[in-house]
Amino acid sequence: MADKKVKHSGRLPQMIIYLGKLFRMFIFQNDWKVLPMSAIIAGLVSFAVGSNLFKTMEGTVLGTFAMACICIWNGFFNSIQVICRERAIIKREHRSGLHISSYILAHMIYQAVLCIAQVIITIAVLNLTKVKLPTKPLITPWAIVDLGLTLFFVTYCADMLALMVSAISKTTTTAMTIMPFLLIFQLVFSGGFFSIPKSAEPITNLTVAKWGLTALCAQGDYNSLPMVSVWNSLYKMRGLEYQGMKPVEEITDYILENNQRDEFMMKTAEYNRNPTYDFDPAIVMKCWGWLLLWTFVYVLIATILLEFIDRDRR
Amino acid sequence: MESNIALLLQVLSVLLETIGLWQIFRKCGIKSWYSLIPFVREYQLGLCADKEEEGRTYTVISGTRFVLQMANIGLVKGSREALIVLLIQIVLQLAIIVYEIRIYLGLIKVFRRRKRWILGFIFLEGLTVFLWGISKKFVPSKQVVNFKLVEGAKVSGSAVKAVSDGLTINIRERSAFDFFKKRALLKDIHIVIPKGHMVLLLGGSGAGKTTFVNAVTGYEKADADIQLDGQDVYKEYEKMMYDIGFVPQQDLMRGNDTVMLTLTDAASLRMPSGVSFSKKRERVNEVLQEFGLASVKNSLVEKLSGGQRKRLSIAMEFISDPTIFFLDEPDSGLDGVVARNLFVRLRAIADQGKIVVVITHTPDRVIDLFDDVIVLAKDATRTGRLAWYGPVDEAYEFFGKTSMEQILLSINQQDEGGEGRADEFVSEYASRMRKVG
Repeated sequence: MADKKVKHSGRLPQMIIYLGKLFRMFIFQNDWKVLPMSAIIAGLVSFAVGSNLFKTMEGTVLGTFAMACICIWNGFFNSIQVICRERAIIKREHRSGLHISSYILAHMIYQAVLCIAQVIITIAVLNLTKVKLPTKPLITPWAIVDLGLTLFFVTYCADMLALMVSAISKTTTTAMTIMPFLLIFQLVFSGGFFSIPKSAEPITNLTVAKWGLTALCAQGDYNSLPMVSVWNSLYKMRGLEYQGMKPVEEITDYILENNQRDEFMMKTAEYNRNPTYDFDPAIVMKCWGWLLLWTFVYVLIATILLEFIDRDRR
Repeated sequence: MESNIALLLQVLSVLLETIGLWQIFRKCGIKSWYSLIPFVREYQLGLCADKEEEGRTYTVISGTRFVLQMANIGLVKGSREALIVLLIQIVLQLAIIVYEIRIYLGLIKVFRRRKRWILGFIFLEGLTVFLWGISKKFVPSKQVVNFKLVEGAKVSGSAVKAVSDGLTINIRERSAFDFFKKRALLKDIHIVIPKGHMVLLLGGSGAGKTTFVNAVTGYEKADADIQLDGQDVYKEYEKMMYDIGFVPQQDLMRGNDTVMLTLTDAASLRMPSGVSFSKKRERVNEVLQEFGLASVKNSLVEKLSGGQRKRLSIAMEFISDPTIFFLDEPDSGLDGVVARNLFVRLRAIADQGKIVVVITHTPDRVIDLFDDVIVLAKDATRTGRLAWYGPVDEAYEFFGKTSMEQILLSINQQDEGGEGRADEFVSEYASRMRKVG
């Protein structure tokens, strides 16, 4: 019989073993496909909403919302099935001495690498498709690094949320059923794009999308951008007659003749500024803080829940 | 006026339903007054319909809906909060309808009636339940057994003395709480397995084979003393789990890893951290040879045949050189020749001085390789009991049978197609043990 006082692999060596497994799975299994997928999604989004991103207020809200969605989508798909698809194997290994914390830590590191790769791909695609990106740095000396960090924190937070769902779900079918609900929740309750009642506003703090969108708008200096929707609406109403006169046409013609259209757009923007999106490092730091907090909460819940894996029925 | 009539009809329906349930419960062998207690009666109806699981869920959903109904009273009508609560109530109501249908279909089956009766239960619930309750034509095909009132087989109660060289098992009871009810899963199992023995673990469905294995390995603790070579498995579980190998029924390995890497990782996890990498590598190569996997060491696990996969699954446990091996149906899905070869390997492991305990549903083709057999049987209280532990040939004599399959048939319940003699053998074995002391 073996010596009972001998030590076995601790948490760190176990984490290294699992990290090795995960990177092997990246090659042998289909995990690598998330990288080209992120390029395709970034391409589609830049094609759809890239033209006015960081150029106008409306285009920025729409574009940053879409960018946050790319990140959430990528994060969700990275890890929604990773635990539940091998749940029975984890149960067996837990029985043989596997530390759940090592297993989760290995996933955290592996997923962080995946997320970094996806962020690099996304920024590269946006650059390639000539989408305007923020140029003024806020936290680090480089604006692109600030943007990359925000995209990473959003992707990683969504990734860990999906990891938690994967740890809760007994089967891949359950996980894939929960995912669309989570996605809809993220989109609807982001608070920036869809207007929601005042009483429901605290719920927006729960979403990855809100903090991602806010940080991106702040980094893109949303409040310094022109607002085009008022001008566009006014221009559409040029034909409006009032007591035999066309007052809107007169105003728009006057603005155009005096080359004051851009000034008008900036003036309307001035009245529609949103202090939440101020070009302020404190705002970006707050958003990053919330994203990291939720990441930590999701990881903690995933670890605690997975500790009960022994209770799974056959 | 109309609302008064609707209320009257509602009250009448509830009254008819309660009277009907009172009678149905009586027919099913359940206390009739349960029909008067909301939520409890839903669960009891599930029992009556042989749909306990559905009955539980139905009770929980009904209770939740009731709580929400109460919560809604305090909310402003038409407010957003009230609408959200209402929405949840609607969702729960839909679930309740589905579960009601499932339970009533179960009831129809138990009462051996046509399925069309379900329409009556859906559209005229009170009246249909009343009719089924009072009419003598509606009789259930089986009664709900109250295990509290049933007397189980005799208990030996005689613990075996712990040995310093082998596995000593003294399980007094292993129970679990199931929907607020305590249920004994295993009881009164006292055995000593010497080293070098290969033991067959025989038992019908639900006899507690897996529960027994989990209790002995310390994975799910029971009210028991389990000692391996004189060391308490429960107290020293963190250390001893590496000395106990458990091979599950399914081949739980990552298909996209190679055989070599699967075993290397298993060695890293299970072998002591003080062992050098080269020693671990050496051990991996030894095990690859021993289990005939050297030729496929660079193949992906998913490319292996059923037999090779099973051998790899065992090898993963064997890598740390454990003293005991538990194998849950290692031959499932394998043909006769491959299964025989696998058991020959297991015999060789036992001959190295290990204890090998195997659960299999086709023992007769390899019974010559076993030393002993543990027979577990469900007694009248549906608790797993020890009906026999000892040499294979003596087991044949004890049960008066000539094969393991016949023994299994004799202890299985009658509603499972068996002879239903479990209590007889359990009691006889317990008496024998008491005499031996």
